[in-house]
Amino acid sequence: MTEWNSSALVKAATKTGKKKNALTPMTFSLLHATDFADRLLYNIIPPLKAGMIVLADRYTYTAFSRDAARGVDRRWVRELYSFAVKPDMAVYFRVPIEVSTDRLLARRVKLKFYEAGMDMGWSSNPIDSFRMFQGKVLDEYDRIVEEFGLSVVNATGSITDQQRTFRKLVSQHLKIEDDDGQLDEQLG
Amino acid sequence: MDSSTSSLVEGGVVKDGGSGAKPGSYYAYGIPYLPIDGYPGKIIAIEGTDGVGRSTQIRLLREWLEVQGYGVIETGWTRSQLMQPTIELAKASNTLNKLTFVLLYATDFADRLEKEIIPALKAGFIVLSDRYVFTAMARAGLRGVDRTWMRSLYGFAIAPHLVFYLKIDEKTLIRRVLQSRGMDYWESGMDMKLGDDIYESFRAYQRSLLREYASMADEFGFRVLDARRKVDVIQDELRRQIGAFLAEPDGAGQSPVTNP
Repeated sequence: MTEWNSSALVKAATKTGKKKNALTPMTFSLLHATDFADRLLYNIIPPLKAGMIVLADRYTYTAFSRDAARGVDRRWVRELYSFAVKPDMAVYFRVPIEVSTDRLLARRVKLKFYEAGMDMGWSSNPIDSFRMFQGKVLDEYDRIVEEFGLSVVNATGSITDQQRTFRKLVSQHLKIEDDDGQLDEQLG
Repeated sequence: MDSSTSSLVEGGVVKDGGSGAKPGSYYAYGIPYLPIDGYPGKIIAIEGTDGVGRSTQIRLLREWLEVQGYGVIETGWTRSQLMQPTIELAKASNTLNKLTFVLLYATDFADRLEKEIIPALKAGFIVLSDRYVFTAMARAGLRGVDRTWMRSLYGFAIAPHLVFYLKIDEKTLIRRVLQSRGMDYWESGMDMKLGDDIYESFRAYQRSLLREYASMADEFGFRVLDARRKVDVIQDELRRQIGAFLAEPDGAGQSPVTNP
């Protein structure tokens, strides 16, 4: 028997679906939940048991916002992810829609189909589509910040400023001393 | 998570996905971007463990319905274009855990629901479903996946108009399976590590599975049929009940031949 791990499996299915643009908002949502379940069980829970800190670049809130923006029922997505471990701390880096769009366009040659929300058929222009889709995603995040009590970092500022705020938040949470000097050293 | 929404209470009405759901409507929250109210098609689900003769019955039903002029489509687990290769691979490797397995199956169901079942309902077809969400619930339930969560997960499914449960006893089932194709790894619940002996594992697994189905019979309004009887006897019974349902004013009611 060939050994496969499920994340690789999910990746294969997602790739097929994405290539053929065959994913619906529901199958998009469920495939990502499958992938999340796999990472939760293999990459998140074991280090937690070992007493380590897990830094998660996006968590269930990403799914809540993205799936709801696609028209999936908000309550259903929240219940779907009820198997997830509640994070000890969740930080939302907030930017206005214009900044988000500008940054993405500066970074990439071409917007990806699902990233731009092209599957929704709102606009055949990827940039317009992205703006509309991302606008809805950000609206959902505002709702989530309130509902789940996320800490917010203003992400329009410089990296140093953001990191300073971020460290302050984490230090308070972990009850460790915040060493600003170390940050200055690291970031120059 | 903060949203410890264990109940599916909405507007004071408990929508637990059980008998409360109206046939042809979503069990709970559904798919908001796909309203299905008033779609003329019907879903008829045939449930039961492996070896009860579901596919034979479905083939015969299809012929019978088509002769009467109904449009019919068939659907069954892991038949979605999106998920079939992935699930086959997952089964071949048996390294998936129960949670990811449940979610892969749900994705397969969602794909078929949106791309096959809902369009067929809209077009007034009869959907013959070789197993439905109950199989997923039974398998997950006996593997220890939270039953409330399973029901909420499948809250996007549509309550079938009729669910027939082909009920069999353990002894008959074992003989049938051994006579046909033998016991396989998954049908024997070998992933549950009940024991190394496949025969004993199969027995223990199927026994628990039968218990799971039995516990859902009332909740989801199964019409229970004795699957130990001959194929044509069961088929006659299915046709009688389906015929009666389709003749009701709120059944299909528009049989192109018998109900002009």
